[in-house]
Amino acid sequence: MTTNGASPRDQVAWLARRAGWGLIPGQLDELTALGPEAVIDRLVDPDGAGIAAEPSPWADFVYVGDQSNRQEQGVQVLGAWIDRLVATERPFENALAWFWHDHFAVSYAVVNYLPLLLEHLELLRSHTFGDFRELIRDITTDGAMLIFLDGTASTGASPNENFGRELLELYTLGIGNYTEDDVQAAAVALTGWVVARRRGYAVLQVPNRYDPTPQMFLGTTGITGVDAVVDTAVAHDAVPGFIAGKMARHFLGDVDQPTIDSLAATFAANDLDIRTLARSVLDAGIAGERTPQVTAPVPWAVAAIKATGANLPPRATIALLRQMGQVPGNPPNAGGYPGASTWLASSATAGRFTMANAIARATPVDSLALGAAADGDFDLLADLLLRPAGFSPATLDALSGLSAGAAPRPGEAVLAVALASPDLLIR
Amino acid sequence: MTDNDTSDPRPRPTSPPKTPLSDMPLDGPLPPSRPDMPPAPPASAQTPPSSTPKSPLSRRKFIGAAGGVAGAAILGGGALAALVRESVETSGALVPTTTVALPTTTLASGFGGPANQRILVVLEMAGGNDALNTLVSSDGRYRSSRPQLAIAENELVTLAGTDFGLHPSLAPLAPYWDAGTMAAIAGSGMDDQSRSHFKAMDTWWSGVPGASSQTGWLGRWLDATLEGENDPLRAIAFGGGSRALVGKDTLATVVRSPANFTLRTMDGSDNDALVAAFLATAGPLSASNELAAAQYAIPSTISAVDILASVSGSDDNDALPAGPNNGNTAASLLQTAAGIIDLGIGTRVITVGISGFDTHANQADPHANLLADIGNGLAAFFERLEADGHGDNVMVMTTSEFGRRVVENGSGGTDHGSGGCQFLFGPDVSGGQVVGDYDLDNLRQGDIPIVVDTRSVYAAALDWMGGPTDEILGGAHDRLGLLSA
Repeated sequence: MTTNGASPRDQVAWLARRAGWGLIPGQLDELTALGPEAVIDRLVDPDGAGIAAEPSPWADFVYVGDQSNRQEQGVQVLGAWIDRLVATERPFENALAWFWHDHFAVSYAVVNYLPLLLEHLELLRSHTFGDFRELIRDITTDGAMLIFLDGTASTGASPNENFGRELLELYTLGIGNYTEDDVQAAAVALTGWVVARRRGYAVLQVPNRYDPTPQMFLGTTGITGVDAVVDTAVAHDAVPGFIAGKMARHFLGDVDQPTIDSLAATFAANDLDIRTLARSVLDAGIAGERTPQVTAPVPWAVAAIKATGANLPPRATIALLRQMGQVPGNPPNAGGYPGASTWLASSATAGRFTMANAIARATPVDSLALGAAADGDFDLLADLLLRPAGFSPATLDALSGLSAGAAPRPGEAVLAVALASPDLLIR
Repeated sequence: MTDNDTSDPRPRPTSPPKTPLSDMPLDGPLPPSRPDMPPAPPASAQTPPSSTPKSPLSRRKFIGAAGGVAGAAILGGGALAALVRESVETSGALVPTTTVALPTTTLASGFGGPANQRILVVLEMAGGNDALNTLVSSDGRYRSSRPQLAIAENELVTLAGTDFGLHPSLAPLAPYWDAGTMAAIAGSGMDDQSRSHFKAMDTWWSGVPGASSQTGWLGRWLDATLEGENDPLRAIAFGGGSRALVGKDTLATVVRSPANFTLRTMDGSDNDALVAAFLATAGPLSASNELAAAQYAIPSTISAVDILASVSGSDDNDALPAGPNNGNTAASLLQTAAGIIDLGIGTRVITVGISGFDTHANQADPHANLLADIGNGLAAFFERLEADGHGDNVMVMTTSEFGRRVVENGSGGTDHGSGGCQFLFGPDVSGGQVVGDYDLDNLRQGDIPIVVDTRSVYAAALDWMGGPTDEILGGAHDRLGLLSA
C-alpha cells in the first residue's frame, strides 16, 4: 500500500517514528518486508501477533521510603522506565500509555510518594488498549490522582472542585461542554475518598466525608457517587470527538476536522474501545492524514538510544532530559507536557545538542550507526535513524563538513550532529 | 477511623520543600559508559565557568561569518510565526511558548539598540494567585470567609493611605510603595468566566477576551515596533515560555532555566567544530515549514547561550526560598534578567514565569514561600538595577490568570476564582495607590468581580513603552491614572 507516493519503507518508518518511538538497526528491513498493514497489527494487537506481554518495568523495584536514598530511588524508577521504552517489543503499547500519562498528567512533584505514582502508571498500562469508561472510572479513585487533584481533601462539608473540573475540562469533554454547576455537582458526588496512609495507602471511601445528596449533573438528575458521575460524563456526546481529536493530534499532527469526526464516529460506534480508536488513528496516518510533527524530548531520546545502542547511565539520561525540559513522570501542570513550540525553543534546542553529544559518546564502538558515521555513509546513517529518504541538504552539508576521523573516535562527531539535527526533531 | 488514618501523604505545611524527580541534583561525574571510552564530563548543567566566557560579540561575529545562515529572507517571519501559532493552537497544552528565533543581520552586526531604552518586565505567577491573601482587604467579610487562611491584621504590611495591606512575605516591597514607585490593582481580569487555567491564560496572554487570538499582547507590541529584521533577543522569556510574546513577525528567545542553558560537548571533542556543524544544519532553510522552524532556532540559540553565559549573578541567591520551579526562583530569574538589562543588547521585553500558585489545599505556607521569593526577588532586582544605573528604564508588572474563591475550602486552600490583583512598579508609575477594589458586596458566584479590565494595566505599560497602545489592544482603555503625568 502506498499513499501520497510514500513507499512501504517510508510508511513503516513513519509508523516506527510516531507509534514505535524508533527501531533498532535491522528492524526497518524486517518490518518493511511485512508491510505497513501487518506492522499496524503488530503495534495495535501485540498479543495477537504473538509478542509476549511484558511485566511492569518496576516489577523488581523495592521502595525503601528513606529520605536519604530518595534520589537513588527516583533514578531507579526513571531508569527502568527509560530502559523499557528502549527495549520493549510492544512499542505502541508504551507510546499509548505515554499518551495517557500526558493526558492525565499526574506529576510526581505533587504526588510525592513513589509507590502511588507507580500504581498510577501501572493503571495506565493496564488500560492502555482497554475501555475508555473503565479507564476514567479507575483513574477517578486512583490514589495518585486523588492526591494530585485534591480528591483526598474533598469532603461533604467542603467539596474541593479541582478534580471535578479537570475531569470535565481535560479528561472527558473539553471546555464549553459543561457548566460551573456541573463542576460543583461532580465535586459533591465524588467527596469522601481518602488515601489511608496507615493502611498501606489504600484508597477508601469514608462515609462521614461523603455527601450522597443527589446532584443534577450534565442534565441528569439523581446523580450520586463515583459510578454515576463517570457513567454520565463518559456517555456525553462530546467525549468521542474530544478524545479522538486529542489522540489524533498526538500521533498524526495537525489533522483536519473531517478526519477527527470520522475517528470519533468509529470510537463511538465501538463503545469507546481504545484499541479500535488507536488502530483507526494509525490507519488514518498511513492513508496520508498526517502532518510533520515536532518530536518531544523523551521520544526523541528513546529513538536515538535505540538507533545507536547508546549506554547512558540513568542519572545522565535524566539530567539531560531535564535540560531539554521533559522528564517522565513530571508534567509541568495538569494540562500535560507542553507542545511543539516548547521543543522548538532555545532551551530545548541547546539541551538537544548537549544530549546528542552525550548519546554519541555513549554509543558502543560496534554500533552500526557509529560505523556509518565514521564511513561517511550518510544514506545508511539516515536510514538507521529512520529517515529513509535521507537527510535534508543543510544537514548533509553539515555532516560532510565534519572530519569523520575527528577526535576522539571516528564517527562520533558526525553521529552527534546527526542526532541533534533539525531532521531528527521532526518526525 | 481517625483523621490521621485517612490523611493523605501530601506534604504537611511544615514539611521542607519536596524535590520533584526532575529536580534531583544530579551532580558529579558520569561513570564512563564503557571502559574503553574516555570519561564523560558531568551531564548536569552547570553555569559555565566565568573565567573563560566567550564574548557574545565574538560569537555574533562568528554567526555572521557563518554566512547569514537561515537568512530571514528565505522564509518570512510571518510564515514561521504562522507555523508556531499552529503549534501553539494544536498543542492543547498550556504554558509553552514559542520561540523560534530569527537570526538576523542585526544580531550578526553587533549590539542591539541605543542605551537607556525602556524595558518591560512581566512577572507571571502561574496557577492563579490568591489575590485576597496577597493584597489583603480590610473588609471584615474577608476574615469571616477565611477562618483558617486570613492573614492576621497585625501581620499585614501596611499600605499607607489605603484600606489594604500586603501579605507579610511581601514586606521587602514596602519601600517601593512608600517611595511612590509601586501601585496595586485590585479586582483585575478580563471577561473570562470559565475558571479554567488554560482558557484564562489564553486571555491574559492575548489580551483578547472572548475570542481566540493568534498573537500575544506583547508580541503585537514587538511586531509594531520592529525595525528591520527581528532580533530574537528583543524579547526573552525566562522560566518557561510566555505566549504573550508570540507575534506575527517577531519571535522571542525562551530560556527555561538559565543555569541549564548550555551547549556542552564531551571531553576530547572539538567543541567549536561541533557547534559550527550544528549551526550549519540551520541553512539553507528547508521548504518544509516544520523543518524550517527547527532550523530557525539554532543560530539564535547558539548566540543566546553565549550571551547568557556572560551574564553573571544568575545563581547567587541561594539564601532565598526555593520555589517549585525546577530549581528556578523568581529571585534567580530576575537576577539573570537584570544581567541581560545591564548588557544592553537591545532586549525590550522580558517575561519571568513562576508557577505553584494553584493552591487548592494547605496553601498557607507554600503561598507564603512563593510570595517571599517574589518579594525578596523583586527587591534585589530593583537594587541591582539602581546599582547598575538602569533604575529609570525598567517597569515591572505582575500577572496571574485569575484570583481565587473568596471563601476558603475545607482543605486549607482556595479554588479557582475570578478577579485578581496585580502590581506595577516603575519610576513613572503613579505609586502609592490601589486602583480598583475587591467588591465583596457584589460577588459573582462567590468570586471577586472583575472591576478593572486588565487591558487598562496593559495600556499603561504600553504607553510607557511608547505604544501604539490602542492599536495593539484593539481599542482605547482607560489608563486609570496608573502613570504619573
